[in-house]
Amino acid sequence: MDGQAKTILQRIIRKIPNKKLEVTLKSWDRLSTEQLESLDCTQPKWLFLENLISRCGEKRLGLKAVTKLEMVYYIDNPNQGTWQAFQLMEAEDDAVSVSFTQFRERFKANLEEDFRHISIRMKKLEDGAIWIRIAWGDNFRKPNHLKPTYVVHYLQTPYVFFLNFMSKHKPFLYEALFRATRHTSIKEAHLSGRSLTALRDLVMRQYQQVFPTKDRTLKERNGTPLHPNIEKEHAEYAERRHQMACEAFGDGILPKLERAVYKLETRYRGNSSNTLNDKDELFRGVVKFSSSNLLQSFHHCVATGIVEGPVTPLLSSITQKGKNYFVITDKVPGATH
Amino acid sequence: MALLTPYSKIPELNTATILLIENEERFQTKLADAIVQQEKDVNVNVRLARKLPLPLENGDSRPRVDLVVFVVSLRSERSLQAVESSLNYLASDYYLGKVCFVVTDARCGTLAQERMLRVRRLAASHHCPVLCAEHQTEEGIAMAAMRLLTILKVSAGLSPMATTALYLSSLTRCAAAPELDDD
Amino acid sequence: GHGSARQVALSPRSRSYGRSCVEPPSLFWQTPGRLTALGQRTPTARGAAKAYNITVRMYTVALLVQNEWKLSYVTPLYRFQYTKLKLYSRHLAAFILAEKQQGVAVEVGMEAGFRVTFSAVFGLAEKEEDAETVFIQIYSKPMFAADTPKMVWRGWLTCVNGDPEYLRSLPPDFVSLPLFCSNGSEYLTARVKSWFGRTFDCSFGSLCLSSATLNWLAALWTGCHPTCDIGYLKLYWSMPTQPTLDVEYTVNPHDAWELWNSICAQDGAEDMVSVEEVQRFMAGLETHLFRHFKIYLSAGSLVKVSTALGSAHQDGKIKIGSSDYITTLLTLLTECALLKTPV
Repeated sequence: MDGQAKTILQRIIRKIPNKKLEVTLKSWDRLSTEQLESLDCTQPKWLFLENLISRCGEKRLGLKAVTKLEMVYYIDNPNQGTWQAFQLMEAEDDAVSVSFTQFRERFKANLEEDFRHISIRMKKLEDGAIWIRIAWGDNFRKPNHLKPTYVVHYLQTPYVFFLNFMSKHKPFLYEALFRATRHTSIKEAHLSGRSLTALRDLVMRQYQQVFPTKDRTLKERNGTPLHPNIEKEHAEYAERRHQMACEAFGDGILPKLERAVYKLETRYRGNSSNTLNDKDELFRGVVKFSSSNLLQSFHHCVATGIVEGPVTPLLSSITQKGKNYFVITDKVPGATH
Repeated sequence: MALLTPYSKIPELNTATILLIENEERFQTKLADAIVQQEKDVNVNVRLARKLPLPLENGDSRPRVDLVVFVVSLRSERSLQAVESSLNYLASDYYLGKVCFVVTDARCGTLAQERMLRVRRLAASHHCPVLCAEHQTEEGIAMAAMRLLTILKVSAGLSPMATTALYLSSLTRCAAAPELDDD
Repeated sequence: GHGSARQVALSPRSRSYGRSCVEPPSLFWQTPGRLTALGQRTPTARGAAKAYNITVRMYTVALLVQNEWKLSYVTPLYRFQYTKLKLYSRHLAAFILAEKQQGVAVEVGMEAGFRVTFSAVFGLAEKEEDAETVFIQIYSKPMFAADTPKMVWRGWLTCVNGDPEYLRSLPPDFVSLPLFCSNGSEYLTARVKSWFGRTFDCSFGSLCLSSATLNWLAALWTGCHPTCDIGYLKLYWSMPTQPTLDVEYTVNPHDAWELWNSICAQDGAEDMVSVEEVQRFMAGLETHLFRHFKIYLSAGSLVKVSTALGSAHQDGKIKIGSSDYITTLLTLLTECALLKTPV
C-alpha cells in the first residue's frame, strides 16, 4: 500500500464510527472472513488502522480498493454533506432506452477525453440508482482523492444529485451527463439537504401523500380517547387543520429536509396603520426556516394553528414543486425561478 | 356576536361545567383529565376550546358553563393575544365571579415580566382571580385542578357553605395597583 | 453591611422621568416575588441611539468589541476602591491559585500561576452617578519563563446611565456596577464571582434578555442606519413545534430603516423613542412575514437580534460589533441588570 492509499484509508476510517466499521468492511468485500475476524473494531482508531493496513498489505490491496471502501460507506451512509438536486431537460428520443452499460461507457469516455487524470468509479444499486465517484485531476496533477465528487442518478428519470460539487467542473460534468443520458440541458432544482433519500423522495414523490377528499371520516388520531365528560369544542377545526397539514406536507414519516430559504423581493405588506404601504419600493429580506425535520415542523405548525390554513403556496411548494430555495416576487404570486 | 351567557340554560342536578380556553392546547387536556379524575361527588363536565366564540353548532349540546378559565402561557405573546380577543365574547354576567385566569410558564418570569403584568392588568380590570400553575409536573397539574374545582363548585352553586360566586370573587380577584389607573 | 441599603431601596419611590410604576404583585395569586432594585419599572421611552465618542481609551474599548460576553447582574460592591486595583489584582490571582491547589480544580494545566490585572476604563460612564467601568484580565503564567503569558479569561463590570435615583440612594460605602460581562472558562468565571462575593459582600445572578429588551435593541440599532451602516437586521425566532422550528429573518438594512422611519415620522418627538413605536416596528415586521407565510411568529419567542453593531441572545450572551453605539447598548443592559438586582 502506497502513501496516498494509506492517507485516504486513514481519512475514511476516521470518518466511520466504530459501530459501523464491521458492517462497512463486510460490504466492502475485499478481506477474507479470517482477516475480518482478526480485526477488533473496538480498538482505538489508530491501532485498528495499523492492523487494517497490514491486512490490506496481505491482500495486496491498493488505492482502487480504498476508494471502493469510501464509496461503500457513502452508499450506506449518504448524509455526508449537502446534496444538491438537478433536473435534466429536453430528453432526446432514445433517452428512455439508455442502459447502465451505455451510460457508463459514454459517461467515462466523455470525461476521460477532457481530463488526462481523472478517476471514475461507478456502481448500480438494486433500487436503480447509479452511484458515481469522481476524483478530479487535470493535465498535470493526479486525481485528488481527498475531495471526490459524488453523483447519483436514477436511470430513465431526469434527476441527478451532487455532493461536493465544484463549479469549475460543472461544464464537463454536465456534458458527460448529457451524452450519457441523452438529454440536452440541465437546471438546478433548488433543492438541497443532507439527506439524499429525502431529496429523492421529494422529487419523485415517494412519501405518503394525502389528497383532498370530500367525504372523509373523522378518525381518532390522538391515541388515548378522552374521558366521556370531556368534550372538545373545536374538534372539527382540529381535524380540518390536520387534514390541511397532511395535504400540504404529507402524512406518516416525512422526508427529512433541514431548511427552506425564501428570498423576498416583494413590496411591504403590513397593516393599514403602517405607512410603508403606498411605497413602490421593495422590502427585501431573506427568510430561513430550519429544523431537524422541516416538513414535520411545518406539519405541526399547521395542525396546531401556528400557521394558519389553508397553507400558502409558498410553504406547500416545498413538497408540490420539490424545492427548498425560492425567490419570491410580486409579479407572479407564489414561487418563481 | 355569539356571546356566551351563564344563565340562559337550566342547570342540571349536581352537575358543574367548566370551560378551559387555551390557544396552544398543550395544558388543557392534562388539566381536564386531572379535574374529572379528582372530583368524585359532583358530576363535572369539561369543555375544551382554543378561543371564543365557541362554534355555533355545538350550542345545543353544550351544557350551561359555570366557570370559564383562560389559560395563558407566558412563553408566547400569541397566547395572551388570543385571550384578550376572547374576552369580548363573554356576557358580562360571567365577570361576576365566573371567570378565572390560569398562568403557566411563570417560572421563566424573568423573560416575561411585562407579559405577566399585562395578565394581571387584564384580570384586574375584569375582576377575575389569577392562578399560577405548574404544568410540567403531575403535582402541579393536580394542584391546579384542585384549585379550579374549588372555584367551580362555588360558581356552580354547589358549595356546601353558603358562598356565592360574587362574594368569593370579591375576595379572590386580582387587585390592580392603584397607580395603574393614573397612567 | 447590607441592611441600610435594603431599607433605602424598599422605601416607596416617587415617579419621575416618565416611567410607569407598577406595584409588586399582590400576595394572593402569586408566591411573593423578589423585590428588585428598580421594582418593576420599565421605561416606556428612551433616547435614540447616539454615536459614542471613542477618542478615549481606544484600546480597552476595542477589547470589549472583539468578544462574546456572558451577562450577569451584580449587587452593589461594599468598600470597593478604585485606588486599590493593584491590590485586588494580587489578591484575586492568589485566590485562584489557592482554589486550584485545594484540588477543586478540574483543569490540569502547565501554568505555574496566574497574573491578574484590574484596570479602570474611563470614559464609558455617562452620568455623574455612574461608577467607572472595571476591566479584569487573567493570564496564565507558563512553566517556562520564556513563554509569554496567555490571556485565559477577561471580564468587566460596568454601569452606564444607571438609574440616578437608585444610585444616589446607596450608602456611601457601596459602589454599584450592576452589569458583569465575562468571557472565558466557566471555572474561572465562578472563581472570580466567588472572590468578589467574599471580598465585596456582593452576589451574582444570571441575566437573561426578555423579548421586550431584544425588541428595543432591534429598533434602536435599526435607527442608527442613516449614520452608520448596520449591514443587516437579523431576527431569530424559535417556534414551539415538534421538532422545534427556527425562523431566521434577515432584513435589508435600508428597507428596515425605511419602515422604522415611517413609524417614527408619525410621532413628532425627535430623539426619543417610545415603546409603542418599538412594538409597532416589530409588529410591522411580523405582519410582513405573516402576509407571506401565514405564520404567527408571536406563538414562538424572539431569541436573538443581530446587526453589524452587535448581537444579543435571549440567554444573556451579547457581542458588541462596533464601539460606535456602545453606550446605547450598555444603558439598556445596565437597566436590565438593575431590574433583576435583588435588594
